Amino acid sequence: MAEEFEPKIVAFLCKWCSSAGSDLAGVSRMEYPPNVVPIQVMCSGSVSPLYILSAFKKGADGVLVSGCHPGDCHYIKGNFYARRRIALVKELLEFIGLDPERFQMSWVSAAEGVKYTEIIKDFVNVLKPMGPQTKLRRSQ
Amino acid sequence: MVKLEDLKHEALKALKSGKVKYIIGYADGTDQFKATPVFLKNPEDADKLVWNPSCVHNLTKFIVDEKRRKKREKNPDERAVGIIVKGCDSRAINVLIQEKFINRDDVHILGVSCESTGVVDEKKLAKKLKGKTAHKIEFGADGQFKVTTEEGSLNIPAEEILAERCLECQANFPVVYDVFLGDKDKKTNDTPYKSMQKIEDMSTEERWQFWDEQFSRCIRCYACRSACPMCYCDECVVDSINFAIEPDTTAEEKAHKIKWIDKSPTESENIIYHLVRAMHLAGRCIDCGECERVCPMEIPIRFLNKKLEKDAKELFGYEAGFDPDIPSLVSSFKDEDPEDFIR
Repeated sequence: MAEEFEPKIVAFLCKWCSSAGSDLAGVSRMEYPPNVVPIQVMCSGSVSPLYILSAFKKGADGVLVSGCHPGDCHYIKGNFYARRRIALVKELLEFIGLDPERFQMSWVSAAEGVKYTEIIKDFVNVLKPMGPQTKLRRSQ
Repeated sequence: MVKLEDLKHEALKALKSGKVKYIIGYADGTDQFKATPVFLKNPEDADKLVWNPSCVHNLTKFIVDEKRRKKREKNPDERAVGIIVKGCDSRAINVLIQEKFINRDDVHILGVSCESTGVVDEKKLAKKLKGKTAHKIEFGADGQFKVTTEEGSLNIPAEEILAERCLECQANFPVVYDVFLGDKDKKTNDTPYKSMQKIEDMSTEERWQFWDEQFSRCIRCYACRSACPMCYCDECVVDSINFAIEPDTTAEEKAHKIKWIDKSPTESENIIYHLVRAMHLAGRCIDCGECERVCPMEIPIRFLNKKLEKDAKELFGYEAGFDPDIPSLVSSFKDEDPEDFIR
């Protein structure tokens, strides 16, 4: 019997909001798919386009960048910079023909454990029928 | 029209006054009709200058080199460097000033207009001439280029042999200069992203097919990086070799050095290289088209830059190179930036 495809998601979570949000989901024992590999970064504004491309190259099927809601950034304006930069990365990836659904961004605050689990659930549901991401993956 | 005598005169004046170290301009080359960059150090050299549609190069790259050279010298000559710029090149200078890479006083800018046409694309010209060799090319009247071949001269409508970027040019005169020659006739252009349209119209899969084929040809010679006036980092992120290995660098440190991109020209690495390059030029690329011109594999790199240029304009209302006093695209934000893609 063929095993069901399980997508691998790399999530760049900011230390102050989204990471705490995912933590809350964990300590509250909420159930969500185990497909996500969280990577804590100091701020969503510190996520370089290279991190995202690198994740795709190393075999991620989807990449999520998550930060504080606008106005809540621990560093006052880091997420505003991120918003601009990520918009450009998203457009560029779409332009070269990567499926736009494979790259997402979200705002998750430290209190939004439920929202975090929902985002991951939806992301996994979107990625499952799409199959593995092979376009940017490192050639073997 | 830019009168060549005026250009020579201005160059002579600047050289004689001694306020410039040298002037970077164009002179006749040795290969057919093509002009070549020239460094004028003495007043008597000013006669070498030419200005014609084959002056395709963006000379601002030499300003970047000059800054590096100055840094290495013990007693650098602090005088300005003279440079001849077209519209697009002048915007490159603006970006360099905006990023505080150079000061406005470091350059003495001789701006020339592109005669409401632009510069020639040698591949298009060769196709047009069907085997004949062009020896000379000049700006003609009514948007035509006068091409002289071994069989005499002929007039070719400029649109047919213009470089792709000139067809999409929004301002074909310098926006920053000390001396300006020619006319400031703004070309009206309703379709500044026309050439890119055919890719945007494709489906996701078709786009991937297209780019996959293009990127797989890349040989990673980094000519695009070398020709780009905006690629001036001392250490490039794609060079995994240039981290300092000192006597006390441990094997562990070497092993843990992040290698973002492998040197081998395999497909996945090529894609990352080109995307990173495009991202680093977001809001900085002034569309001088040098990257694409120098590419030995004829990869349409310009489309990537053009795409981000379009996004910068449409999403954030930002245009590169017109105002050196505003903050750059990715170091600024507005409250109303789009966020409909964010959950």
